Order: sequence, then C-alpha cells, then structure tokens
Amino acid sequence: MSIELWLAVAVSAIGTLLMRVVPFLWMQRRLGSDTGINTMPQWLGILGPLMIAAVLGVSIMPVNPSTVSWLATAIGLSITLIIWWRLRSLGWPVAAGVAAFGLVEIVATL
Amino acid sequence: MNQLASHSPWRSALQGVREAIPLLGGYIPVALSFGLVASQAGFSTFEATAISTLIYAGASQFLFVGMIVTGAPLWLVVAMTLLINVRHVVYGPNLAELLPRSRHWPWLMHGLTDQVFALALTRLPQLPEIKRFSWFVGSSLLAWGVWIVGTAVGATAGEAFTARWPLLGEIMPFALPALFLTMVAPRFTNKRWAAAMGCTILAALGLTLSGWSNVAIPLAAACGALCFYTVKFQTRSQPS
Repeated sequence: MSIELWLAVAVSAIGTLLMRVVPFLWMQRRLGSDTGINTMPQWLGILGPLMIAAVLGVSIMPVNPSTVSWLATAIGLSITLIIWWRLRSLGWPVAAGVAAFGLVEIVATL
Repeated sequence: MNQLASHSPWRSALQGVREAIPLLGGYIPVALSFGLVASQAGFSTFEATAISTLIYAGASQFLFVGMIVTGAPLWLVVAMTLLINVRHVVYGPNLAELLPRSRHWPWLMHGLTDQVFALALTRLPQLPEIKRFSWFVGSSLLAWGVWIVGTAVGATAGEAFTARWPLLGEIMPFALPALFLTMVAPRFTNKRWAAAMGCTILAALGLTLSGWSNVAIPLAAACGALCFYTVKFQTRSQPS
C-alpha cells in the first residue's frame, strides 16, 4: 500500500474510533456532573433496543438466499424462540437455533 | 463489601468471553470473507489484517477495499467509510450509564461494534456494577481478536477453507440472528414495543433485500422510533 492509502486507513480508523468514544465520554460526563443531566434522555433509551432490532433484521438475510435457506431461517428462528421461551437464557436457544438451521441445510443437500 | 472482596476481574472477563462466543458464529465467516476479498483485491495479508485491526467495522471495510479497487478518490473512500460508521454515535451514550468511569475507555471503545453493543446493552443491566468493566473487556477483546485472526486466515487460506467446507460458511452466520432474537424477544411482551420492534425488523430486512444494507440499521431504527411515538394503544377502561 502507498503512503496515501495508509493515511486513508489511519483517518478512517481514527474517525470511527472517535465516533465510538466521544459520545460515550460526553454522556458519562453529563450524567456525573451537577449541571448536567441525571438520567439518559428518553429517546436515547428507545433508540438503543431499536438498533438491536435493526441489526436482527439485517442479519436475518441468509448468506445465499434460496427457498431452502429461507425455510431453514424460519425454522431456526422458531426453534430459537421456543427454547428461549422455556429457558429465558442466551446460550442454549442460540445453539438449538443454529443446529436446526444447519440440519435443514444439510438435509436439503442430501 | 463482601461482593467487593469476592470480586475477581479475571472471572468477570472470562464470563464476558464466554457470553460473547455466540457472536463468533457471525464474526468468523465474515472475517474470513473479508480476508479473502482483500487478498483478491491485491492487498497483502499484513495490509488486510492491519485494516481489520485499525478500522474494525465489517461493512465499511468491505466498502473501503471495494472502492480502492475501483479507483475511487481517497477522500471519497474515507468519507463513505465514516458515513457508514456514523451509526456508532448512538451506541456509546446508551452504555454510558451502565459502565463505570475509567481512563481506559478511549481505547476500549474501539471494540464497540454493532454486535458487542447489542450484547452489552442486554447483559450489562443484569450484571452487578463491579463486574461490568471486566465483562466488557473480555467480550470486546475476544470479538476483536477473532476478527483480526479471521481476516489473517481468510487472506492466507480463505479460498481453500471455503472450498473444503462450503456449508459451514452458510450455517455459522445464523448464530447472529438467533442471538439477536433472544435479545429483542423480552420486549415483545409490551404492545407498543412489539409494534416498534416489528416495524424496525421488517424495515431492516426490506432495506437489506433491496440492496440498502449499508444504511439499513439507522434507517430501520428511525422507522421503529417513528412507530413508537406515533402508534398508541388504547388501554381498556375498567368497568366501574
């Protein structure tokens, strides 16, 4: 890579880091100060969970979209939800969902 | 006092590592793909790994490499990379209340990706305050490390790897939607939240299907917020 390209990587990296750090530190200072705010603004508390829902929506799309992969996705998500409903934990529902998804994909290739 | 005495930062960090393991199902295939794409675009293994180490933001790294290959001007490459990552601006403030103050945040926040944010926002409120810092260090460092190693492996042996186990690259990424589903599911007990969440998920999926995956997260979240503030459910009045 040329010097210019390394510089582009550095600027992109520093810019991305600043977007992660500065708002975090700014909010921590505001929350802790006498003149600032005592609790987080309501809109921010709403936007957080919605961002997670958006990441879910983006990640639902299969790597290679096809009838089989969409069917595997529907079955995998259903199994994940059923196991979550019973256990209310993070690990086992994910493992069961991936196993169900993989099983459908493997059976379809036989 | 007892909690303080019995607290082990290593144990909390290991808990973070353990709880971040489901994220790797999504990280490994994408990191391998990035390494492969970067090496095919003419970047060396060292350069591809350096991009993953320094920028550490999946979608924007693919865009960065793709635009460089097409010969786009560098200022535009940097501008587009930063534009895609601008969604990270709302992640930090959401975690500010949950994490203790530390002089290490300026470099630790480098690990705040979409997935780490989602996991942290769900798990941190459930953990005692004393464990949170170490938990975040453990989970974010594991994700970052795997991303870097995955890129290096992808750049050196990605082609052979995907040819040998083609199905693995399709199955492992399913860990991400499964994990995020378990994170958003508790919100579906409330009608207003269920409507906003449902609207967000459908909007994000629709935007991704239409090829707008780079802006799907902030746009879909904005749709969900609009839905949250505009759709009101009437509560049934109790008979007197």
